[in-house]
Amino acid sequence: MRITPKRALQLCATSVAFAAVSTFGAMAADKSLTIGLTSDPSHLYPLAGEELSSNIMYYHLYDPLVKRAGDLSFGPGLAESWENVDGTTWRFKLREGVTFHNGNAFTADDVIFTINKARDSIRPDLVANIADAKKIDDTTVEIITPKPYAVLPNDLAELLILDEEYTTETGDEKMDLQPMGTGPYKLKEWIKEEKLELVAFEDYWAGAAKIDSVTFRPITNPATRTAALLTGEVDVIQDLAVRDVERVKSEDKFEVLTRPSLLNIVLAMDMREKSPTIEGPNPMTDVRVREAIARAIDVDAINKIVMNGLATPSDQFVPSSHIGYVDGESFRDIYALDIEKAKSLMADAGYADGFTMTLDATNNRYVNDGQIAQALASMLAKINIDLQLNIMPKSNFWGYIRVPTENSSFIMSGWDVPSGDAGNMYGALFYSRDKKEGYGQVNRGSYSNPELDALVDQADATAKVEERDRILQEATKILLKDIPMIPVHYEQDIYAVRKGVTLEPRVDKFMWAYDMDVE
Amino acid sequence: MFGYLVKRLLQMTLVLWIVSVIVFLMMSFTGDPVFMVVPVDATDAEIAQARRLLGLDQPMPVQYWRFLVSLVQGDFGYSYVFRQPAMTLIMERLPATVEMVLVAMVFALVISIPLGVYAGANPESKISRFIMAGSLLGISLPGFWVGMVLIYLFAVQWGIFPSSGRGDTAEFFGLRISLLTGDGWHHIVLPAITLSLATTAILLRMTRAGMMEVGRQDFMKFAKAKGVSRRDVLYRHGLKNAIIPVVTIFGLQLGDLIAFATITETIFSWPGMGKLLIDSIYRADRPVIVVYLMLVALIFVVINFIVDLVYTLIDPRISLK
Repeated sequence: MRITPKRALQLCATSVAFAAVSTFGAMAADKSLTIGLTSDPSHLYPLAGEELSSNIMYYHLYDPLVKRAGDLSFGPGLAESWENVDGTTWRFKLREGVTFHNGNAFTADDVIFTINKARDSIRPDLVANIADAKKIDDTTVEIITPKPYAVLPNDLAELLILDEEYTTETGDEKMDLQPMGTGPYKLKEWIKEEKLELVAFEDYWAGAAKIDSVTFRPITNPATRTAALLTGEVDVIQDLAVRDVERVKSEDKFEVLTRPSLLNIVLAMDMREKSPTIEGPNPMTDVRVREAIARAIDVDAINKIVMNGLATPSDQFVPSSHIGYVDGESFRDIYALDIEKAKSLMADAGYADGFTMTLDATNNRYVNDGQIAQALASMLAKINIDLQLNIMPKSNFWGYIRVPTENSSFIMSGWDVPSGDAGNMYGALFYSRDKKEGYGQVNRGSYSNPELDALVDQADATAKVEERDRILQEATKILLKDIPMIPVHYEQDIYAVRKGVTLEPRVDKFMWAYDMDVE
Repeated sequence: MFGYLVKRLLQMTLVLWIVSVIVFLMMSFTGDPVFMVVPVDATDAEIAQARRLLGLDQPMPVQYWRFLVSLVQGDFGYSYVFRQPAMTLIMERLPATVEMVLVAMVFALVISIPLGVYAGANPESKISRFIMAGSLLGISLPGFWVGMVLIYLFAVQWGIFPSSGRGDTAEFFGLRISLLTGDGWHHIVLPAITLSLATTAILLRMTRAGMMEVGRQDFMKFAKAKGVSRRDVLYRHGLKNAIIPVVTIFGLQLGDLIAFATITETIFSWPGMGKLLIDSIYRADRPVIVVYLMLVALIFVVINFIVDLVYTLIDPRISLK
């Protein structure tokens, strides 16, 4: 099934009411579920930081104004409906009768408070596209964007609403331990690194959850996680190890669920005249050399040999569900594996004898990242590129490769866009550096094309989603032609569940017990 | 004795200070913690704001000075990642680690001392050879492998023990202790065995070597000639003279296991502090690493002090100066 948040987004503008499922929840007594996660959350306070385990907890405890479903479609959350009043003004009608876990009523003041609070926190990026927010009445809020911004609702799906009174009283440090939201679950107990227990919030606005009590256990070691599932200590595990997939499938009592993730592994090529790790002029300024590199990389071999077939070769920079994806265009077809062609392109560009450069990559951030880097070195050796590997842990990596990239020529990293829109990614990764505040800040290859810059500017100047989609598709076509980056593959998320547990993996990896059920 | 104590305290302060300096210097090479906190596409302004909120906008010497000043005031700093006091984070996890290590050390003692004495007294017997071969395995098998095998056999195949976690705990003076519940014991057996294996093997070999050495001494022959029972010859006369190096190693191992039980904790997802150290290193979370390593240094100093006291109990000829 093709996922189309574009269409879903148009739909939700007319505000489809959520079907409440509360009656079932009241009937079945004491359903419980234990989930084995890869790590303990660092935070329970949404403004304290961002990482997967914490994100999973946030969405159990809190709600955003706009809700992002598992298939990346966007629908009403704490906001019942919204409309774009003029280019930069959005009016949100808030849901009435919603209460926080402590009984406080949810009002417009809480929304304004959250927006202001985020601005001074460690996550000002959450409100980067909000210039101002005004309370019209208790259930109406107006949000002003600094420029027309068609995907504001998508962005708001990441802003979780805090209770003004409680948060002010409690303070940032304690908020991490004593969360208070409007979400479907309340915190019962959190013993660090051991277990985190949630219980269903009876008065949840969309109806109480079907599963009454959910326990999350952090089990870092993949083999132990599998063992805990097989022994029945947990019902669901996240990130089943690739080598355990067959073992778990062979048991009748368990099921393995997979889903391509949003995380696109990409290779950024430096396009400056002089590149840090290359002697002499930088060959990659020539599009023929970039094409040769693209054609020399055997993505299918990487998938088969390094990833055990559990990756999905990427055809563009964003998945097909996203705004800006061009139907029918595939990087894999345009630059199919062809060593002979690659060699002749290198020769045409004057680099028949190749050149030497360094690849910067991580060894503990992406699935099998170290091995992918080694595979790339042997593949590029076929077109006489001597690829030196500079592999480091993620704690060093992000600082090392950071723009202005004074150390790097060729970088492997991952990129995901859970907001379902290519525009943010293109603005950050491909917009010319140092031209406009908030654009090109992660343009690691110093790619610069005025045409692309103009398209991103246009996309960010319209408040209409269809318009934005059309413009960004043009941008995608330019990028496919210019090859500033080589998309490699999407990692696959692998879950395993005990039979009887209903779980549909979400594209954004945020496991959500509210959508699950147990027999 | 008093002079000895003062000297030890001064030494300890010096050790702690050196540890803090080394960690601060080291951490300046291991990546910028700000990038572990902000989103990958953060703008310069967003990064600057995070840097300011974490107190990382000051030059290194200033950061170090601030750290020292707060330390003297009893404030050990805040974790960059968790935004909680570093000391609290460590203390929450300390009981779990100490408990697992203590059980492991008891396992190690109960097994290694009798077997070591036996193997030392009867070096030629088949059983001794078998014990020594077993101890070689104990030293050479990596802990993570043993842990995985134990989980596979005892949890997945036979279902005797749970695969991971700490089980139920009971409160004891505000500390959560799992040794007070049956479920807690059920959970602690496999990790404690895994952790004890290498220590058991080392202690066993030390005991055996000491016993063999002592066995040749005249006083042992004399005791035997006097008609002392074999058991008393071995344990009262032999072991007492052979055990000093074993006590030293025991102390060092105890400190080592408390500080770096990381691998066992990870495999059994035991909520101890070793895992915190590894996570903090990955995330360049300097405040936690500094406090952790200083605490470890403190533990080593204290254990060695106790070991010295134990020497005087075992051998009255030794005195503390």
